[in-house]
Amino acid sequence: MGTGRYRLLGNLLAGVAILATIVAISFGLPAVDRALPADRPVAAGRPYQVGAGVTVVPPPAAVVDVTKTRPAADRGSALFVLDTVRYAIVVTPFDGSLDQAATRLRRKITDNRGYQVLGDSRSAATATGVPGRQGGYTAPGRTGRYAVFVAGGLAVDVTISGAGPTLRDALPKITVSVASLTFPGRA
Amino acid sequence: MDPAGGPAGATAVRPTPLWARATTSLRRPAFWLVLLLVVAGAWRVAVILGDGFRIYPVATTVAIGLFALYAIPFWLFVDNVDYLEREPPLLLLTAFAWGGLVATSTAIPGNAAITNLLAKQVSTGFAASWGPAIAGPTTEEILKTLGIVAVVLIARAQVNSVLDGVVYGALVGLGFQVVENMIYAVNAVGAAGAGDQVGPVVTTFFLRGFLAGLWSHTLFSALAGAGVAYVVVRIDRPLWLRAGVAGGALVGAWLCHFLWNSPLLADGFGYGTLGVFGALLLKGIPPLLLVLLMVRHARGREAEYYVGHLAVLNDPGIATPAELRILGSGRQRAEARRYAHGRAGIRGRAAVRRLQLAQARLAVELSRAAPSGIGPSVDGAGLYATGDVARRFREVRTQRRRLLALGHPEAVASPRAQPAWQRWLTWLGTATVVVVALAVAIGALGGG
Repeated sequence: MGTGRYRLLGNLLAGVAILATIVAISFGLPAVDRALPADRPVAAGRPYQVGAGVTVVPPPAAVVDVTKTRPAADRGSALFVLDTVRYAIVVTPFDGSLDQAATRLRRKITDNRGYQVLGDSRSAATATGVPGRQGGYTAPGRTGRYAVFVAGGLAVDVTISGAGPTLRDALPKITVSVASLTFPGRA
Repeated sequence: MDPAGGPAGATAVRPTPLWARATTSLRRPAFWLVLLLVVAGAWRVAVILGDGFRIYPVATTVAIGLFALYAIPFWLFVDNVDYLEREPPLLLLTAFAWGGLVATSTAIPGNAAITNLLAKQVSTGFAASWGPAIAGPTTEEILKTLGIVAVVLIARAQVNSVLDGVVYGALVGLGFQVVENMIYAVNAVGAAGAGDQVGPVVTTFFLRGFLAGLWSHTLFSALAGAGVAYVVVRIDRPLWLRAGVAGGALVGAWLCHFLWNSPLLADGFGYGTLGVFGALLLKGIPPLLLVLLMVRHARGREAEYYVGHLAVLNDPGIATPAELRILGSGRQRAEARRYAHGRAGIRGRAAVRRLQLAQARLAVELSRAAPSGIGPSVDGAGLYATGDVARRFREVRTQRRRLLALGHPEAVASPRAQPAWQRWLTWLGTATVVVVALAVAIGALGGG
């Protein structure tokens, strides 16, 4: 083989090495991630830190999905899974009104392809008296509930989704959990 | 001059051989592989931005337009860093496309996976705080550096100096920065939940484009690019040393990126807006200075080499000693154009610009014709009666005649040019204005 062919072979091998690295990052790392379980048990009946000082008591038998849970000093998110029902809480800094927060959450829901909110929202409140709004929505193959609360410069968006019967069974426990939300300085 | 007899910096520059042609790249497997990856990356980025466009058409269009415009001055600046030996535009575009399409689209799943693994193996709190500092640099610096390696595989002959590596690296980083910011801007629109509004796009533009833009991916990848080019160019050094320098540059880029993404000093020392701004400067300025010093050194070495090829001609019709002194400095070239403008108007400025460009092109052609680093004989024009070098000689002489006709024979700076202390004062004043403006911007955008 001549020098030119060796060079071409070297060029090809180097190119393949680049491709292999890209495949490893693009598909290999996500495969390793998927191979490891994401669910972790949560202590029953004890407040769970969502972020920015907001806590919630998770429903009994729920597990937390650590890949969708990110507590931080000024914001945070948590995803609890109860059977096949997904119960997500998102805390963000917010300086608007409760109605604005409700409009924002409804729009975020309907921005997803195939998602629709059902009717107007109704009043809600946590056990500590933080006022909120709640309602329902539909998604392809699933139905859902949402709730939003505003206090202390924070908005807490709650979305609950699952298939009909499973959701119906889980809703009472999750409703109790939503009411257990606490905000910093409003124990 | 080098002890070997060639122009100074001869070992730091490897001129493009005369046989090198753009079509040579078509025969290399790496070219087709890169093309395939760029097309795949373009499709993935189009899907991401297409989703945004479906829901927020106005905001997504504004995001793409704003950040595309944002890229132009950066591109011009980076391209001008290597004034004497310009890189082929198609290769620059390849570097930019790699960063914007291949690196971004690959980094998105990679970053998410690493952050998830941190959450699983350490804790969700750790993943939230340190995930961006660990995942971002790890995948993104590797992916962007691969883009510089890809450029070397496609057209090794075009990577002639460490400065070339800086330029290609910066372009890869710029592509990444621009497309990543477009995606961030569209995500911000979604997070705001206010519909198709451009407000979050503008906020992202200021926060990520300006506050974080000066010391972001362009800078990190320029550092990594210098390392890759060192391996290619400094073949006079042992392989272990070259590999060590390249590895060190990549680690340096990783560390700069890690420091920038880390939650350290995120509270701004508890001093609100000013504290946050101080922390940004503290994190951003050291890498910026490091890369600027590196560029200055690399550019100096390259300039010595190319200007040396003109100097050995000893022909004032080609370049006078005063012109040779300023040709390697962007600031002094600009001063020479300003001086010409003052003496001969806009035509004088244009004539000096064309002469400088012709001199630079001639220097590059002379270096290609004498790849050993030993310059041509004093009778340069006679030696190269035909071919590219002869064409460049004619070009320089034509521009010289035009300059003479304008009554401005020499492309030099004014003898009454601004002294160094005044320039520093101007820089300091400008920097102060920028710092105050940025501090106000942080406050206005809620950074405090």
